[in-house]
Amino acid sequence: MPNLIQKIILLFVIWLASQASCAFAVEKSKQTKPLRIAVAANFAQTLKLLLADLPNKEKINYQIISAATGTLYQQIKHGAPFDIFLSADATRPKLLEQEKLIIANSRKTYAFGQIALWSATQQLNSLNELKSYSNKLAIANPYTAPYGKAAQQALQHLSLWPQLKNQLVTGININQTFQQVRSQAVPFGIVAYSQLVINKYQGIIIPPEYYQPIAQQLVIIKASQQVKLAQQVSDFILQVSSQHKLQQLGYLPIKSRQEHSKVNE
Amino acid sequence: MSTMTKSNIISSQQNHLSSTQATIDNSDDAALSELTLAFKLAFNHFEITSNQSIRISAITGIYGDSGSGKSTLLRVIAGLEHRAKGQLSLNGKSLQNSENKCFIKAENRQIGLVFQDSRLFPHLSVYGNLAYGAKRQTNHKLTIEKVLTLTQLTKLQHQNVTQLSGGEKQRVSIARALLAEPKLLLLDEPFSALDKTTKSQMLTILKAIQQQLQLPMLYVSHSLSELQYIADQLVVVSAGKISPSAPIHQAIHDLNSLGETSPKTSLSLIIAEHLPDYGLTRLSLPIAQGSNHSIYLPILEQSNDQRLIGQLLPCIIYARDISISTTKPEHSSIVNHLSANIIAIQHSKTNALVTLETGEQKFYAQISLWSAIRMELTTQARVFIQFKANAVHSYHNTEQTIHA
Amino acid sequence: MTDISSDLLALITTLKMAAVTTVILLIIGTPLAWYLAKWQSRFKVFFEAVVALPLVLPPTVLGFYLLLAFSPSSLPGQIWQSATGSQLAFSFSAIVIGSVLYSLPFVVQPLQKAFEQLGDQHLEAAAMLGAGPIDRFFSIVLPLTKASFITATALGFAHTVGEFGVVLMIGGNIPGETRVLSIALFDHVESFNYANAHLLSAGLLIASLLLLSFVYLLGNNFTSKQHRPTKL
Repeated sequence: MPNLIQKIILLFVIWLASQASCAFAVEKSKQTKPLRIAVAANFAQTLKLLLADLPNKEKINYQIISAATGTLYQQIKHGAPFDIFLSADATRPKLLEQEKLIIANSRKTYAFGQIALWSATQQLNSLNELKSYSNKLAIANPYTAPYGKAAQQALQHLSLWPQLKNQLVTGININQTFQQVRSQAVPFGIVAYSQLVINKYQGIIIPPEYYQPIAQQLVIIKASQQVKLAQQVSDFILQVSSQHKLQQLGYLPIKSRQEHSKVNE
Repeated sequence: MSTMTKSNIISSQQNHLSSTQATIDNSDDAALSELTLAFKLAFNHFEITSNQSIRISAITGIYGDSGSGKSTLLRVIAGLEHRAKGQLSLNGKSLQNSENKCFIKAENRQIGLVFQDSRLFPHLSVYGNLAYGAKRQTNHKLTIEKVLTLTQLTKLQHQNVTQLSGGEKQRVSIARALLAEPKLLLLDEPFSALDKTTKSQMLTILKAIQQQLQLPMLYVSHSLSELQYIADQLVVVSAGKISPSAPIHQAIHDLNSLGETSPKTSLSLIIAEHLPDYGLTRLSLPIAQGSNHSIYLPILEQSNDQRLIGQLLPCIIYARDISISTTKPEHSSIVNHLSANIIAIQHSKTNALVTLETGEQKFYAQISLWSAIRMELTTQARVFIQFKANAVHSYHNTEQTIHA
Repeated sequence: MTDISSDLLALITTLKMAAVTTVILLIIGTPLAWYLAKWQSRFKVFFEAVVALPLVLPPTVLGFYLLLAFSPSSLPGQIWQSATGSQLAFSFSAIVIGSVLYSLPFVVQPLQKAFEQLGDQHLEAAAMLGAGPIDRFFSIVLPLTKASFITATALGFAHTVGEFGVVLMIGGNIPGETRVLSIALFDHVESFNYANAHLLSAGLLIASLLLLSFVYLLGNNFTSKQHRPTKL
């Protein structure tokens, strides 16, 4: 018996050692890298649906890498091997531009986010239901998350902010807010409308006039060695058919919103 | 009671010696160790110093109270105390010298150490423990089988060491140390945790091993009687000071006058014959050319096996067990009586320690101060000493087989 | 790329990362634990605290500082780049280094405890039988602390498999290179891919449970072996 166990351990150690050696070998042999698209977590699903229509997509080898916008920004700052970055806001792409880490003039607004009031426990009919609402309300952190800031502005526009600000549950990002409402832990929440569309929920869209536009911008990273390909992807996302699809997925397309206010200063 | 003839005794002695040498032939270098110790080891509370050379031919005992530094002395010799400053050499080869930063590591000193707590490797069997020592040395003079026989472990060789008794564990520990074929074997109170019967069995085995292998040994103990049985010379360690070595009986007698231990007579006697009808064994003490005294003690072996006849038996007689008479005690139940001359009387508050001599042999008798005064004992006086057979103590194992 | 095949890739990356990390941890953790166990000094507590630090530090914080250190503009990052010719940040090597630091206490602490308990008695006995330091380690220390080595290996491996924050920061979630299971799982949740998330968590849970059970079974076998009566 002990001999058998010793053999098993020996085999395990050999396996570990072989894994160790081949892992380093594999790392060296990687030459042709795929196009790496870094995307804000809340846009990742939408992006996948969009890229399904990418022409010649069989020939284009791409990878979608999603994380929080702040994390991706830090990583790009420290040399992450990404080619194109789809942010959930306009702030980080602007910072990257100032830091000269992007291809000149590659910063483009690719969509505007919309917010919606939503409850997983009851059918909502109008925003007026907030007036007499006395329970917890979930929004994303207004100081760090663009969708949270928009939620605050909308509540201020409706003059409900002083009344509701003590009932708020703030999530670190809009996905956490969505989870809080979806799990019915919080009865009402202001979430991204795109989240409701993808998950086939019904909510009440908050009119875009109530808040500053949530511009989502993309940039092409200067260190990219596949700028042409990145440019193709950027162009594809900005083209009319894609924008039309974005509208169906709960975003406002670039054109309609740009008429409202100037965002790309 | 009959006396054996002298020639008889001598021939049986020769028998014994030749049988010892027939079992194993040894190279000369292992037969005698010259150990030079010049070191100083300071601890928080005390320091151990030594500056002498010990010639170890058989077993040299190291005696001292607990905390006197005797175990530390062994650890220094073994190479387990890196903090010791000074010089140390064995058979002319330097083991360490703090002046030229030389320090031979414990594993390279060719010195064996048997610990008080045996320290057997719990993940190995008895055989595995022995093989551990055998595998790591080059001149394979000893085989594991031979050492198993020597230490009477053959039947236990496949046992798990955690299931052995105390005596068995120490035998494995000794066997393991032997198989590393050291030039010098150190034993640190190896049998102190054992009961008296087991201890005497172990001492008998160890003594036989020493005689067979001619391996010099340093044996540490706080029991003088144990050392008296096993060692041929003694080193006394007291408060970190190490005395020069002296022949065992002389060293024990020297301790008598210090008053630290109960005074005793230490002597080696030849086993002359067994007297089963009387339940006694007769020992022979040569006193002058051609004549010898007989000393009796309770019979050593019950069977008719005569294997002990002619051997030297180390004995201890406590001074408190010896009485003095000015007339020849012919009508006494006490079996042992010898005539002797008083050579010294040492008085204390309650007792008098009387040193006597019969031929070359010294005896020590402790009598009450009152008796010493009443009997008007003086040096040079010729008296008779007497002691019971039971007063003659020996660690010799009376059992034939080991049940440890 | 389908979700299943990308998850499979993440699984392979995870196992590879955990395996390499565990081997490195055993190689550097064993001597480290040894010195911590044997070293007698007032400063020892300080080094013990340093080893335990990853237990306290939030992984994303550790990850952030590692990201700063590994970036091509920092000195360690530059040294790595000139030595290996490739960038350290966002590479497989980076997540291995991060995991080694992050899982260090899980390997060092059980080993240190075992070495402390082992004491010097058996080692001194082995030295007296002619065994040198390396010999003593393999013939005495290793067999007598086998159970702790198994525990340390299991904890190091399992903790690395479950590793998230550090890898997220310094790995960059690159498929086939730094995208590991925990991050793939997080991605599925973030992108509302709940079916895949459930499948992946169930797989991870069962695999971990099996692995840990196996390891503890081995550990039990070793510890009970010493007390089991042997046949004569």
